[in-house]
Amino acid sequence: MGVSMPTGGGGGRKKSLDAELNLVPFIDLLSMCICFLLITAVWIEVGSMQVKQSHGTEGAAQAKSDLELDVKMTGPGAVQIAVKKGGKSIRSITVKESAPDQFVSKLDTQLKQVTGMGPVTAAMVSPAKGTSYGDLVQIMDVLRRNKISNLGVVPVRDAT
Amino acid sequence: MSLNTAHFGAGTFNKRLVARKHRRGGGKKNLMASLSLTSMVDMFSLLVIFLLQTFSTSPELLAITKGVELPTARTGLEIKDAPVLSITQELIYLDQKEIGKTADLMKNPEPLMDKLAELRKQWVQSHPGEAFKGEINLQAHRDLPGTWISQIMGMLPSQHYGSISLAVVGGSSGG
Repeated sequence: MGVSMPTGGGGGRKKSLDAELNLVPFIDLLSMCICFLLITAVWIEVGSMQVKQSHGTEGAAQAKSDLELDVKMTGPGAVQIAVKKGGKSIRSITVKESAPDQFVSKLDTQLKQVTGMGPVTAAMVSPAKGTSYGDLVQIMDVLRRNKISNLGVVPVRDAT
Repeated sequence: MSLNTAHFGAGTFNKRLVARKHRRGGGKKNLMASLSLTSMVDMFSLLVIFLLQTFSTSPELLAITKGVELPTARTGLEIKDAPVLSITQELIYLDQKEIGKTADLMKNPEPLMDKLAELRKQWVQSHPGEAFKGEINLQAHRDLPGTWISQIMGMLPSQHYGSISLAVVGGSSGG
């Protein structure tokens, strides 16, 4: 690496103006940087999903015009959604798809329609027998993607 | 075991090089192979830039318990510093301490409730004058029955743990 310039006048021997850059300390520094960053790197990103469980009669006061959702998992890849306003059910939606990707996209589409009806303040998800915790989180993830962040889980006793 | 330095020493190596040069005869050849460092420095620089971009300054608050495969989610938030309740297919742990077998605790959750109450008392004693926030991190295996997790989540508010953070694998930047 260097810069060469024509020497102006001045007889005698030409002196090279090329400056050699010593790369060794630079490489040492870079190697150290790489080692440090590789050791401290976090490869699996763990996040969290907030759930508010109310105790007894305590619960957030809702405006009468706001919508609430009752999401009942009826099996793997199947949910029944009851849209409630002021405690009364105004619409019922069933989503059923065996393929997980299609189920998620169909649920997402239905929830977009519901959120278009008005602000949804809360959603309660109840799992069913035969559904896994992974399925439960997947549904809550879709709800959160549709700006429904006040989520709760209904305790369901498994008969087995 | 001993090594014969006559065969392995640096002087011997130089002598052999000189001898080889004589055998080839005549012209001086440069025996130093020059290494092109430019590409190596380029590669190192790119690596450093990539690693710096993915570098996280926040400490790892949640150690994943052995035997737990977390569910995935796109809308994960940042982990909070709170007690960790881990549920594997076999055992339940509270802050890395084994509480009991999962199947047994599902039938009789008293030992778990007692430990949670104890943990809350410890927190209240160590934070005088502060209100208990009721935060807890729950990490559970994704293949566990959803009804089991819902039951545990239903029990937690009875010990004043009402703000539950479900640990998921996914971005911690979503809203």
